[in-house]
Amino acid sequence: MSANKVNRRDFLKLVGSAGGGLVLAVFLDSCSLPAKEQSTAVPLDFTPTPGEQLTLDEKPASAQEEPMAATETILPADWSPNIYIRVDHQGILTVTAFHSEMGQGIRTALAMMAAEELDIAWENVRIEQAAADTKYGDQQTGGSVSVSRYFDQVRSAGATARQMLINAAAQTWDVEAAGCKTEPGFVIHPDGQKRLAYGELVDTAAQLDLPSGVQKKDAAQFRLLGTNIHHWDAPQIVTGKTIYGLDMRLPGVMFAAIARCPIVSGGKLSHYEDAPALAIPGVKQVVALKDKVAVVAENSWAAIRGRDALEITLEEGKNATLSSEDLFNTARGRLPQAGTTENGSIDAVYELPYEAHATMEPMNCTAHVHDGVCEIWAPTQSPQDVQLAGYLATGLPTKVYVPLIGGGFGRRLQADYAEEAAALSKAINAPVQVVWTRADDMQHDFYHEMAVQYFNAPLDEPKLPRARQVGGSAVPTGAWRSVGEFTQAWGVQCFIDEMAAASYRDPLDYRLELYKNNPRAVGVIQLAAEKAGWGAPLPAGKGRGLAYHATFGVTHVCHVAEVSVDADGRVRVERVVCAVDCGMVVNPDNVKAQMEGGIVWGLTAALKAEATVKNGRIEQSNFFDYPILRIDEMPVVEVYLVESEASPSGIGEMGVPPTAPAVANAIFAATGVRVRHIPIRPEDLKP
Amino acid sequence: MPTYELQINGTIYNVEAESEMPLLWVLRDLLGLTGTKYSCGAGQCGACTVLIAGEPVRSCITPVSSVKDKPVVTIEGLSPDGTHPVQKAWLEEHVSQCGYCQPGQILNAVALLDKNPNPTDAEIGKAMQDVLCRCGTYQRIRKAIHRAAQEA
Repeated sequence: MSANKVNRRDFLKLVGSAGGGLVLAVFLDSCSLPAKEQSTAVPLDFTPTPGEQLTLDEKPASAQEEPMAATETILPADWSPNIYIRVDHQGILTVTAFHSEMGQGIRTALAMMAAEELDIAWENVRIEQAAADTKYGDQQTGGSVSVSRYFDQVRSAGATARQMLINAAAQTWDVEAAGCKTEPGFVIHPDGQKRLAYGELVDTAAQLDLPSGVQKKDAAQFRLLGTNIHHWDAPQIVTGKTIYGLDMRLPGVMFAAIARCPIVSGGKLSHYEDAPALAIPGVKQVVALKDKVAVVAENSWAAIRGRDALEITLEEGKNATLSSEDLFNTARGRLPQAGTTENGSIDAVYELPYEAHATMEPMNCTAHVHDGVCEIWAPTQSPQDVQLAGYLATGLPTKVYVPLIGGGFGRRLQADYAEEAAALSKAINAPVQVVWTRADDMQHDFYHEMAVQYFNAPLDEPKLPRARQVGGSAVPTGAWRSVGEFTQAWGVQCFIDEMAAASYRDPLDYRLELYKNNPRAVGVIQLAAEKAGWGAPLPAGKGRGLAYHATFGVTHVCHVAEVSVDADGRVRVERVVCAVDCGMVVNPDNVKAQMEGGIVWGLTAALKAEATVKNGRIEQSNFFDYPILRIDEMPVVEVYLVESEASPSGIGEMGVPPTAPAVANAIFAATGVRVRHIPIRPEDLKP
Repeated sequence: MPTYELQINGTIYNVEAESEMPLLWVLRDLLGLTGTKYSCGAGQCGACTVLIAGEPVRSCITPVSSVKDKPVVTIEGLSPDGTHPVQKAWLEEHVSQCGYCQPGQILNAVALLDKNPNPTDAEIGKAMQDVLCRCGTYQRIRKAIHRAAQEA
């Protein structure tokens, strides 16, 4: 077995495996991101300090036109491979997915990329989820970069494996490799007749040198990429077989619910009475953790009842009377007021509230500390952060396994749920699943940061407006689907419409001039407008609005929303037409699904839900007061994809940012009322 | 603690549970049937839907003592092999994203189609309005229900 041969380009490695077969490990350089991914928008982990003022800057048009830089692999001194693909004796390709699946289709996409170049039938593809391990490089799943970052390397791995199988066949037949070709799963002899199945060739292939300079397929040769393959997990989803974090069951596992201080920050638990909890049947133990109290029981229901029965005394701390009203007033006070600008300019103040994630699967984590090791099962977007949290909580080497995630959206980049589960398992010396109730999840989120934005722009010519922006304080914040892009697009795209109106111009025309140096922007704007029938008359009470945004500067999206508003100010979004340019499309149907999902996400924020603070606490606790969009509110969504040969850019978050401004602009068209905050409610629109 | 005899997916189970223990937790924690999902615990999202005597029921607010001898169907028991027309339609229309809500969506759709074999969009909206999806798969759910209605 020729293990550990490194090819000349040093980014693929042949790995020996005890079970035989052909195992390739690919080094993926997570360190040198293409220039395009460095965004000047608010970064992922941004939490503004009180009073801080930001300038919202959009990248100049020319920067958005740069093609994705070819990823030159710069190897650190001791590189290690971080994608594994394996072809076994049965000719099955197994791809180790090193990023987390949360419905965005990444496991399927990675497997498609490898399978395409390997030339293998989709039904012979399997996917395994990687445990947390530095050998996989950076396993964090966020920023909508999984496909774009690894498009070339995963395909190269597949192409290299294919070449090795060809070389093995050529050696077996004693012919020139150049005369051989492949059909899915087989190498074909130059005579066009004889064939050898991949499974028969893997042992020979594993002995060979890694070929260098292997060509990937041209797009014209694709069989899988560019097709609408559905999620690999889908058959298991519809039969209830998929295992999410909350479905983990270990022998002897206990269930726990945790009491946490409800004050957003600055408060603590000072005292608790555990007798009422211990009286609940099924409750076994009450355990004090760092500023939390855990109730451990035989089943989730007993744990939750026990936790709810605890008598907790709080030291509420300095934020005990904090309210959203205070936070907004403070933020507004740091910015100029609307109406203070000079002649020839217009100004306005836009606002957005805190937003919760409200994943359908609440936060949860299962941990088992035993025999000097900490094992964690966490539906997480950051396996390595969870690994670190487990280590810090227990002092023990930590292994992390990642079940499927019932919705991530940035919430699962945090590791808070892991730290408490690991600490608890160590304290009780047993495996334990920490269950978060919906209220726990709603009230102990890392919310999308609130914002007040002051826009001020001259009307001499269409130019991208800039804002001064202030956020909140004291409330924990974190990444939320499309992060600062959502915030930026809200104010910018609404204010552009105000600039257009003040200039007596159509919002579409105005934008075509504003973005005239950005062909990809113009492309999606024109496509969406055309498909939406922009300009065709609408009856009274109905309106169309448009908004464009290039999230992280890489994927260009334009939405045209069509709304109707009734006499009571109730808004119905009838239709959203979306045009998206995400470069080369790996899976068209999945792009559409992500745009549909991003639009639904944006509509919830635009019209329905917000997280508010009162008495230092998050007010909302369940879906009745954090109402997400329902199926009877779902508009017709049409998604049009721009054909492109640019490298694929992201899609997971990209459908979100233009949604709320498109709706607000449509509402203005329908009613003449300009609403500058979300969610937009009927009382904002009733005459 | 009382014992309850339950008929779930055609199998008889005897469980020892408090009378008010929600059926959801009996399924998930006592019987290991984790296909039925916990999401809100208050009957507001539909993720916990099971069919009891053919009716869609929110198992998170249904005490086990109220089930009695009515047959219960969970997602695991909808078909032996995933070939129920609604399951097939869900695959053909590429409905699922994260998939967490889909067992509840599917069972609610099954119940709807049993009563109304050819529902309009508005009827679908009304019947399914309390079954939530944060990934936003609603348009495909509508299409899948229409498809299942046609192919039944």
